Amino acid sequence: MIKTKAKILVVDDDVQHVDTVKTLLESVGYSVDYAYLPEKAIEKAKGAPPDLILLDVMFAGPPGPDGVATSRRIHADPELQKIPVIILSGVRKVLDLPFRLEPDDEWMPVKAFLEKPIKPDKLLAEIQKALGK
Amino acid sequence: MRFAFENMKLQTKTNIGIIAIFLLLGISAGFMTFKWQNDYAIKAAENRVRLYIRAGWEIYNSKIERIQATLKVLAEDRRLQRVLVDRANGELKDEVLHELQAIRLDQNMDILNVLDASGRVILRTRHPESSSDGIGDDPMLRKVFSEKKACGGTVLLDERRLQAEGQDLVELCRRYGGEAVGMMTAAAVPVHRDGRVIGVIQMGNLLNGSVEKVDRIRNSLFENEQYGGKPVGTATVFMRDRRISTNVLGQDGTRAIGTRASDEVAERVLRRGLSWTGRALVVNAWYLSQYDPIRDPDGRVIGMLYIGSLEKRYLDQRSRAIFLNLAVVFGGMVLAMAVFYLLMRTILSPIRRLHLATRRLSQGDLDHRIVVRSQDEIGELSQSFNQMAQQLREDQQEIQQSHDQVERRNEELRIINRNYMEMLGFVSHELKSPLGAAVLGVYSIKDGYLGPVSDTQQRILTSVAQSLDYLNEMVKHYLDLSRLEKGELKVNRRMVNLNQEIIAPSLQGLMPSLEDKGMSIENRVPDNVLLCCDPHLMRIVFENLLSNAIKYGRNEGTIQIETGQAKSGTDTGETVLSVMNEGDGIAPDKLNLLFQKFSRIDHPKHAGKKGTGLGLYICREIIEQHGGKISGESEEGRWTKFTLSLPTLGTRT
Repeated sequence: MIKTKAKILVVDDDVQHVDTVKTLLESVGYSVDYAYLPEKAIEKAKGAPPDLILLDVMFAGPPGPDGVATSRRIHADPELQKIPVIILSGVRKVLDLPFRLEPDDEWMPVKAFLEKPIKPDKLLAEIQKALGK
Repeated sequence: MRFAFENMKLQTKTNIGIIAIFLLLGISAGFMTFKWQNDYAIKAAENRVRLYIRAGWEIYNSKIERIQATLKVLAEDRRLQRVLVDRANGELKDEVLHELQAIRLDQNMDILNVLDASGRVILRTRHPESSSDGIGDDPMLRKVFSEKKACGGTVLLDERRLQAEGQDLVELCRRYGGEAVGMMTAAAVPVHRDGRVIGVIQMGNLLNGSVEKVDRIRNSLFENEQYGGKPVGTATVFMRDRRISTNVLGQDGTRAIGTRASDEVAERVLRRGLSWTGRALVVNAWYLSQYDPIRDPDGRVIGMLYIGSLEKRYLDQRSRAIFLNLAVVFGGMVLAMAVFYLLMRTILSPIRRLHLATRRLSQGDLDHRIVVRSQDEIGELSQSFNQMAQQLREDQQEIQQSHDQVERRNEELRIINRNYMEMLGFVSHELKSPLGAAVLGVYSIKDGYLGPVSDTQQRILTSVAQSLDYLNEMVKHYLDLSRLEKGELKVNRRMVNLNQEIIAPSLQGLMPSLEDKGMSIENRVPDNVLLCCDPHLMRIVFENLLSNAIKYGRNEGTIQIETGQAKSGTDTGETVLSVMNEGDGIAPDKLNLLFQKFSRIDHPKHAGKKGTGLGLYICREIIEQHGGKISGESEEGRWTKFTLSLPTLGTRT
């Protein structure tokens, strides 16, 4: 199905979710790496740059940067800024954002904002679109 | 005017009333005082003049009586009697003549004559050498001879008679009377011897030019007083109509002897013999005057006695009296007014306090009380007011307390509800992650991404997937409900394209289930319809309406989305949107229940179609927050239609 194995970095603190996404994506031919925290993800991306980053918004544990802030960091990093980012989160876009405005690309530089739960058809379609295929 | 009076304060009204009453009283009292004083003063003045002239006559007559008394003593003199009997005794005659001459000068008399029984003058003390012995027609002597008793009075002396007494008297009378006639106050007494009248003795005083008598009258009546440069009173003796003896001063400051009385006075007094009383202009001042006729012993009017009292004095007295009276009246009035005013103030001040207190009460100051100072009706009223205010205060406190209680209870309920909703939101949110993993996992297997699936497996997976979808819907609704109830969802309006930004995104997630049932969408909304709304909230509405339409719609049925202007046609202020599906429909009596929280309609045909009972409630809340309305209609067995109308705040192109 996919000729060149695109590499996708999944960032989520829900272990079951990471497993499910990893299994699905690998079964359709993507190479998948994962991280449970944004810091770790950026570290990993710098070590071996992925073709796409799938990013959650809310992370458990001590307060650190959320997914949206992380997307900005990635975009601001010259090493990483070419990598497309998709947000996949339980957060509802705009309605759960603190100021209830349609975010612009600068504030949230992502290819897509997907909401959990998501069905495999939709997820795969969005990933392919973001990869430019 | 009437309205102005009605609008006045009580104090002003009573003040005006008092002033009006007292003004009326004052004017009438003043008028009466003036009139009474005026009448009284004039009458009093006239009475006074009458008294004066009576006193004048007393003085006038007392002189005559004194002459008469002197003569009566002389008539008893033996030597005088012997002279009358024994004419030849020249020595005795001279002796008596000298004695009588001394008496005449001592008495300051003009004439003193002794006549014999035939009426011939035998002793003429003033002019003994006079050849004439006639006495002419003297009514006084005639009376004495005929009645044989004494007589006093006033007589006129003709020129011959004056001539007999001396040329100087003729000159005197000419000077003080304009003619050779004299007017004399005199008395004559008969001389008796052995019961026979043997002669008459007569003594008199010419009034012409003599001021002694009138000055005595004036001095005893008026004490020669001056008033404003004018004598207070004057007295005059007229011979016929001519002043011969007066203290009236003429223009040149000398006595106005020789001037005449007015024709009116002369006519009444001289011709008709009556008194004249009234105002008279004497030289240059008005006098209240009386003219009385002077008669000779025969009763003929030969002159007038005049007494005048300066009118200005009475007028000034009258003015003073009027002024004093008016001052008393008006002073009393002002005093009464002041007393009345103070009284009214005293009565009105508690009313004013009551008025102010009522106003404060009506402005909400329930703690204000009136100090009750009296036990009268106003005091009672004030007390009642205080009781009323107290009652109001207590009632208000009670109301406030129960109101506070309700408020507290409501606040508690709000807090409970909010806590509950927060918890619901939190739980729902927490469900999302595991749900996400489950949905993705189950669908990955079911849709064959992880390898072939047997039919039985497929059936179970489909069932699990449906349960997960329902669970997902539930989580979504609870989250929306939680957001709504917490009041977090504020409407952020902007102009949005209805098709592109609302309908299309809402349909996106629903396409699989739509295809499952073989249904089709007939979207009749033109591409250029703009709506002023919160797109995220409106998407929730459309997701709910469309997902209902799919869930309860007939297989292979059509869902129609339409738009239009308000049917009412009152204005173009509303945009109407409707979503209709073919299907079993809903009983009309149950349509309204749909919009209630947790409402689920039991319908045999809906068995197995689980709903949260929140979707339409959430729709209604969102639409109402937009200022719009949502309603449902249905024909059972055929179709169901939900219509929402939103105020058009922007333009529709």
